[in-house]
Amino acid sequence: MWCYEKRLQFPVKIRKTCPKTAQLIISQYGGPDGELSASMRYLAQRYSMPVKKVGGLMTDIGTEEINHMEIICAMVYQLTKNLTPEEAKTAGFDAYYIDHTAGLWPQAAAGVPFTSLEFQSKGDAMADLYEDLAAEQKARTVYENLLRVIEDPDVREPLKFLRAREIVHFQRFGEALEMTKQKLDSKNFYYFNPEFDKKMFCQEKEL
Amino acid sequence: MGFLDNCCNTCETLAMASVPQQEWCEPYDLETALSNGTIFPCLNLEFYKAENIPCSICNPEGQSEQAKQLNQINAVSFAINDLTLYLDTHPDCKNGLALFKELTEKRLGLLADYAKEYNPLTQSSMITGTPDTEKYGWAEGPVPWEGGHV
Repeated sequence: MWCYEKRLQFPVKIRKTCPKTAQLIISQYGGPDGELSASMRYLAQRYSMPVKKVGGLMTDIGTEEINHMEIICAMVYQLTKNLTPEEAKTAGFDAYYIDHTAGLWPQAAAGVPFTSLEFQSKGDAMADLYEDLAAEQKARTVYENLLRVIEDPDVREPLKFLRAREIVHFQRFGEALEMTKQKLDSKNFYYFNPEFDKKMFCQEKEL
Repeated sequence: MGFLDNCCNTCETLAMASVPQQEWCEPYDLETALSNGTIFPCLNLEFYKAENIPCSICNPEGQSEQAKQLNQINAVSFAINDLTLYLDTHPDCKNGLALFKELTEKRLGLLADYAKEYNPLTQSSMITGTPDTEKYGWAEGPVPWEGGHV
């Protein structure tokens, strides 16, 4: 169950219209390492996590990623809400404008639409946790790539915040990996899949 | 270090990654925490191209009373978000739990005050902040993505 709060996790107030910046930032909405992909990844993987606390962490991080999606969407919206027909011709935003005007639609910076192929839910705790650790690193890289080329401080401040969250999430997924390892046989972590070979998991160590 | 009993590091072995458990470090003040994206100085690892970005919420001068109150809610709420993830992996940490309780109580009061003065940000704060209201006020106030009152 989710409840809505009528505020952003990090405030966004962008004064200057800039479709070019919007076209870059939209990747963190619908791109391969974006916030939509992140939230769907963790909220999909959590159901079959063998360690209850790890499933709980995934719920909380997945929820926060939805907040981040809202921040990114607010940024794209504010960068384009006063768009003139002349500005709509800006290289890179022109094709988006033709299909979506100044509406929000999840796609990558290069125009590739969002798909669930951007993430995995493997049904294997180790495989999924390694994917999650990698996902946080890839998203950090995207935010750094954005911070390198965007100069507007109104845009940079929320980007800096979002980048910092990737590092915190990486640390938490690392701790989740340790929690999962504790429940497995340290002589061979790969002897069975704790999400599927449940009988073996319960015999090994109590939850 | 009671919390380490609950989630401690396993021995390093071949073909398996290890990430050390975070130990409690004294948190930032709430505004600095929101600006830096974490309450924990030990997890604030900056990017060289993003140093010295001015913190627009850290300086209350020139902000409207409403903006100040909203910033306070954002800062307290974010600290709770960050603490939540910390407590997910450190459920027995006394420092974390004490701060969580303190901030959660503070947040409930701030949300009620904001609903009373301006508009509700949560459905429950309509009841806690404006118990005698005769109008359902959920649609009142700016939508969050317009950037109002920031």
